[in-house]
Amino acid sequence: MLRFLVRRIIGAVVILFLLSIVTFVLFFGVPRDPALMMCGKTCNPDAIANIHHVLGLDKPITEQYWIFLHNLVMGSNQFAQGPCPAPCFGYSYHTNEQVWATLMDRLPTTVSLTLGAAVCFLFVGLGTGLLAAWRRGTLIDKAATAGAMVISSLQIYFLGPLALAILVYQTHWFDKPDYTDFTHDPVSWFTGLIIPWVILSTIFAAQYTRMARSSMIEQLQEEHVRTARAKGMSRAYVFFRYAWRGSLIPIVTIFGIDLGSLFGGAIITEYTFGLPGLGNLAVQSVFFSDLPLLLGVMLFSASMILLFNIIVDAAYAFIDPRVRLS
Amino acid sequence: MSRGGRHVYSALSVLAAGALVLTGCSKGGSDTGTNDKKDQQDAKRQQASIKFGGTADSTGPAAPVPGAKSGGAMEVLQRDSYAHLDPGQIYVSDEGSLATLLHRGLTGYKTTSNDGHQHEVVGDLATDSGTTADGGKTWKYTLKDGIKFQDGTPITSKDIRWSIERLFAPFINQGPTYVQQWLADTSGATYRNLLKDGPYKGKHLPNSVLETPDDKTIVFHFKKSHPDLPYALAMAGYAVVSQKGDTKERYDKNPVVTGPYKIQSFKSGKSMVLVKNPNWDPKTDPIRHQYVDQFNITFNQQFETSTKSLLADSGADQAGISFNNQVDAGNLSQVLHDPKMKARTVSGYQPYVGQMNINMSHPAMKDKTVREAIAYALPITPFVRAYGGNDAMEVAGGLISPTVSGYDAAFDPWGKKKNPGGDPAKAKALLQKAGKLNMKLTFGYINTPEGQQYSTAMAAGLKKAGFDVQRQEIPAETYYDQVSKLNNNYDIFHTAWGADWPSASTVLPPLYDGRVIADGAQNYSQVNDPKINSEIDRINTITDPVKSAAEWEKLDQYIVKDVVNVVPTAYYKQVQIAGSKVGGLVYDDVIGGVDPRRLYIK
Repeated sequence: MLRFLVRRIIGAVVILFLLSIVTFVLFFGVPRDPALMMCGKTCNPDAIANIHHVLGLDKPITEQYWIFLHNLVMGSNQFAQGPCPAPCFGYSYHTNEQVWATLMDRLPTTVSLTLGAAVCFLFVGLGTGLLAAWRRGTLIDKAATAGAMVISSLQIYFLGPLALAILVYQTHWFDKPDYTDFTHDPVSWFTGLIIPWVILSTIFAAQYTRMARSSMIEQLQEEHVRTARAKGMSRAYVFFRYAWRGSLIPIVTIFGIDLGSLFGGAIITEYTFGLPGLGNLAVQSVFFSDLPLLLGVMLFSASMILLFNIIVDAAYAFIDPRVRLS
Repeated sequence: MSRGGRHVYSALSVLAAGALVLTGCSKGGSDTGTNDKKDQQDAKRQQASIKFGGTADSTGPAAPVPGAKSGGAMEVLQRDSYAHLDPGQIYVSDEGSLATLLHRGLTGYKTTSNDGHQHEVVGDLATDSGTTADGGKTWKYTLKDGIKFQDGTPITSKDIRWSIERLFAPFINQGPTYVQQWLADTSGATYRNLLKDGPYKGKHLPNSVLETPDDKTIVFHFKKSHPDLPYALAMAGYAVVSQKGDTKERYDKNPVVTGPYKIQSFKSGKSMVLVKNPNWDPKTDPIRHQYVDQFNITFNQQFETSTKSLLADSGADQAGISFNNQVDAGNLSQVLHDPKMKARTVSGYQPYVGQMNINMSHPAMKDKTVREAIAYALPITPFVRAYGGNDAMEVAGGLISPTVSGYDAAFDPWGKKKNPGGDPAKAKALLQKAGKLNMKLTFGYINTPEGQQYSTAMAAGLKKAGFDVQRQEIPAETYYDQVSKLNNNYDIFHTAWGADWPSASTVLPPLYDGRVIADGAQNYSQVNDPKINSEIDRINTITDPVKSAAEWEKLDQYIVKDVVNVVPTAYYKQVQIAGSKVGGLVYDDVIGGVDPRRLYIK
């Protein structure tokens, strides 16, 4: 187990390292200069040169990259805006705020959104999927399959504004989506996130319904399940003891990836509902050519995906004893 | 006017485009329900009356807003978080609007009518808008009594000196540079050499440049005459910064303010709360009010979201407003067709004027007949439609906006106001005469939903006139970077520019002075015409604002009609909306949006 973890973590670090290089090169490969954006109306070559100098963009790319890596690991006291302890991604070009502090500031929003939605979609999605598999071929199954099909073909940017228009602006049944810190006011935290949770989980739940159903049906056709039934075990016992565990494997895999990418920022959901999370931050970093913020968001999101992949792989061993980590 | 720079503008259009894509919203064109006539008349009144006020005009308190009540909290829905709060770093509209509540400078714009259209430049911290005895070379300001920072420290001439000197430090790189350049008597960024590190290493500007003989007096000494100084000093970028409280780069997040409101909390990217500043004395302030107890500002509210929230008019949003968000294009016609909703809106001009640039560095474009053919052929209707109709865009005749002194509504050399669809027949005849029928014309367009829409229809219009138009898309994020490159291969491309104050001196020189052609600079059409250059120099020395306005308009007409390096397209307009309990809702021509200073809760 330990060997497995060490190997995977080293692998993840290498991937992040490569990703940071690619992001860096891509950023400088695009014919777009962050200095021009900051330069204001009375821009001229001297003013651009000054901004390049202030941002350190007048140094060779390799040196800039080395400084970035150095700061990331060691932290830095070289920034005019103040100290920058490791992991230091520097200060945002656009807002002049410490990138790591900004990421940590936005993380609670994204975590709240993701966890709340995950609870909803796992419960609803798996429940409906298993029910459909249990009642395969019946009206329930057909309704669930068709419903899941329709809903999973919808998009958040369609459902979101629709829900807002009906549930908030027309009927005033729900509060306008808004993020309040849980520690500050748990009730506002909950009421402000209901609609984003419901919308985000609706789309995921539909996918999990389909997945859970097909995975379960596949498992029910396995030989060990048939053997168990032939030995006289009850249908319910076989369903939940034998087939259920096996059917979880692909679901856990997908769940890990979904959770990882959601923790990296549910971009469209956050944008649609105006939630100040990592997704909105990612959009902002691209719009403002904000390299430190862009690198920060990219690497943080990638780390989340990698982290959850490792967790999922480790979890296989617990779910399915046939899997051996080596 | 403290309105957004071109890059900011490009960023904003990208954001707007993103909003459209992500919300799956499509634009509905609305060509009805216009306020054209009213807007134009209002704008006319403004330019006619703008003047530099004396001591009596500059004495507080400001005339009360009729019916205004004190108290309550106002909800403010904003799209973008504020990146800068340090006055020296403020240029764009969002922060400029906020600055009207937080920062004070030597001068400011006082509204002299309750409709937000008539203004005069008055002394804000100073006792008057400035006195000059030598035609604008030496300007003297005296500070009022009883003016304080939020911490209770009195504001002295030392703070003013400090505020000006710190603008020379390298970390100040986003605000206006007019006054710095005038003090250093140079263009470009070489003004920084006058005081390389700002005041932070103990050096100061010599008395021959900036003089503070006592605690109350500030004297500016310029080599050339700069009659526009009272305008320039009214920009948020020249508001006062506390010497004692200056934390350099960190001041940008936590400034020591002087206006009627101070920042109680600011969570960047999330929210901001403004509360009353007890050390602001209304008796010293002829411009601002302090009716609302508290402003609760929330960010990340897209145009569509803020419009819908304010239209719904429920709960806290009844006392809700946005300082800068417009009514989104999708809801615009619905809002303007419903009298109840329309009553809660205000509309007016933004400072931007759109123009189709003709790239003068390309040999094929050097033929004036060809450029005239483009001017006749170019249809403006598609541009107006793409942005939501006549409520969002008004067909332009010249390059000077209706909110800028000197605007001539009758000037329309290519007949665009009468016939915005263009005149392909006349254009074709010109092309034939020049022997250039079916000549290739490369049209670089911005890849936004609007850009795609209007460029296709514009290209069709030009084709009808006998041009072989090749459309080339330019990514929205890099649009202005690409078109401001000297060796770009586009024959024609569209840009927009806004005045910094209501004088064409902030429009024509940066855009058409042939001596400032450079990569990244704003002479997009790369025009270098000796008459334009010499006229710019001549008009810049005229001290009478009325006379200079007339001369700028003459130069405008020379550029549009005789040089034909650009074709004016449209004046940008916008509609804003507020909740039913918001009082004092007025569109201010100088701010280019809602005036936050007059707001109260009914």
